[in-house]
Amino acid sequence: MDNDLVLVIVVVTALAFDFTNGFHDTANVVATGISTRAIPPRTAVLGAALLNFVGAFISLEVAATVAKGIVQADFITPTIVFAGLIGAIAWNLITWWYGLPSSSSHALIGGVVGAALVAEGTKALISGGLVGKVIVPALIAPTLAFVVAALSILCAYWIIGRLRPGSVNRGFRRGQIVSGGLLALAHGTNDAQKTMGIITLALIANGNISENNFHVPTWVVFSAATAIALGTYLGGWRIIRTLGTRIIKMDPAQGFAAQGAGATVILASSHFGYPLSTTHTISGAIMGAGAAKRLSAVRWGVAGNIVTAWVLTLPAAGAIGGITYGITRIFGTGALGPVIVSIVAIGLVAAIFGQRFRPAAPPPIPGIGEASS
Amino acid sequence: MIVATVVDWEALADVVVASLVAAVGVTIAFSLAIYGATRLADVRREQHRTTEIVAFALLSAVGLAATATAVVLGLFVMLSK
Repeated sequence: MDNDLVLVIVVVTALAFDFTNGFHDTANVVATGISTRAIPPRTAVLGAALLNFVGAFISLEVAATVAKGIVQADFITPTIVFAGLIGAIAWNLITWWYGLPSSSSHALIGGVVGAALVAEGTKALISGGLVGKVIVPALIAPTLAFVVAALSILCAYWIIGRLRPGSVNRGFRRGQIVSGGLLALAHGTNDAQKTMGIITLALIANGNISENNFHVPTWVVFSAATAIALGTYLGGWRIIRTLGTRIIKMDPAQGFAAQGAGATVILASSHFGYPLSTTHTISGAIMGAGAAKRLSAVRWGVAGNIVTAWVLTLPAAGAIGGITYGITRIFGTGALGPVIVSIVAIGLVAAIFGQRFRPAAPPPIPGIGEASS
Repeated sequence: MIVATVVDWEALADVVVASLVAAVGVTIAFSLAIYGATRLADVRREQHRTTEIVAFALLSAVGLAATATAVVLGLFVMLSK
């Protein structure tokens, strides 16, 4: 009974994480299209949400990697998965608060690895999977996206460089509707699968699914797709500014090249089961599209902040996941620890959102209480 | 040394090649479509010869068709596994 209650908490928490993943990553998908005025913001966000939902049904390779390839399912309990999820959600909210586009995927993997390490030590980890499926692809993906986007935009400029900008920009804005759609589809494919993988891992840990008869239940696919789509629809306006205008100021051709590069790298990686960061990948593509035109076009200071967030994500989410596991164990091995941690976490999140979305003070009346300019 | 054994370099190489070919190929095809369409509008306005009009119309159509084919093919490969 206790285990089933923990499992229910894990599923709800995983779907909440999936929601925050969509909320956090909306910007990755729509920022370039909005900043080049290829598509109105509300249409872009609605379209991205729908395509995120569809994308979640395309493949299950990444879900299999997350469920079977990073931690030893034999040593994992639903409470470890729960603690990892809390680590990931907490890190997502911290980076969202500061407007940093860090990786939700690495937060999730870091959180679960941290909780598993505290609970069972290194024997719970599949170090080969962690290095081969997560860390090395994490280094390659943004670099590859950078190079692909740079080569793409150089080819595009070589072909259309002497044409009238008005006509060219109109053409690439139309193209961005397709490339942005592909990026949303790719995002749904890779990111929703991580939640599917985590829920499936919890189901294996709880004995609901045999490790030898691995499959992702349909209800898991459908609920993960719905959660990420809802999160995408409701979130991310704060980070859109960072990705869309603060890294570089893009023209529509650069936006097309960046979105195309990001989408192809994510889709190709998803095909081989690599749970990579869509945030890293699209940020790399945006920088590549900017740097190919003019190195100084990229605001390297902002890019540096993003890199810092990337480097911190795995250890920080891991530390929070480990600490959360330690706290739950104070209350024993049953459901009491996860229940208490969930209540505290919900209270903290409500307080954070309450402060963030407080109604703004009315604008000052000119001439009263401030100098007019 | 350990990294060399746990990483599936063949799969990663496939990701690199597929991404490069698909993204750069689609951008080239779509840029050619835009080039064809823009030049077509120019030569029509300046009342050039029919052969130029046909050539740019063809370039634009082929570029668009190649772009659409690449996108559909990419999605087909994703769905086929």
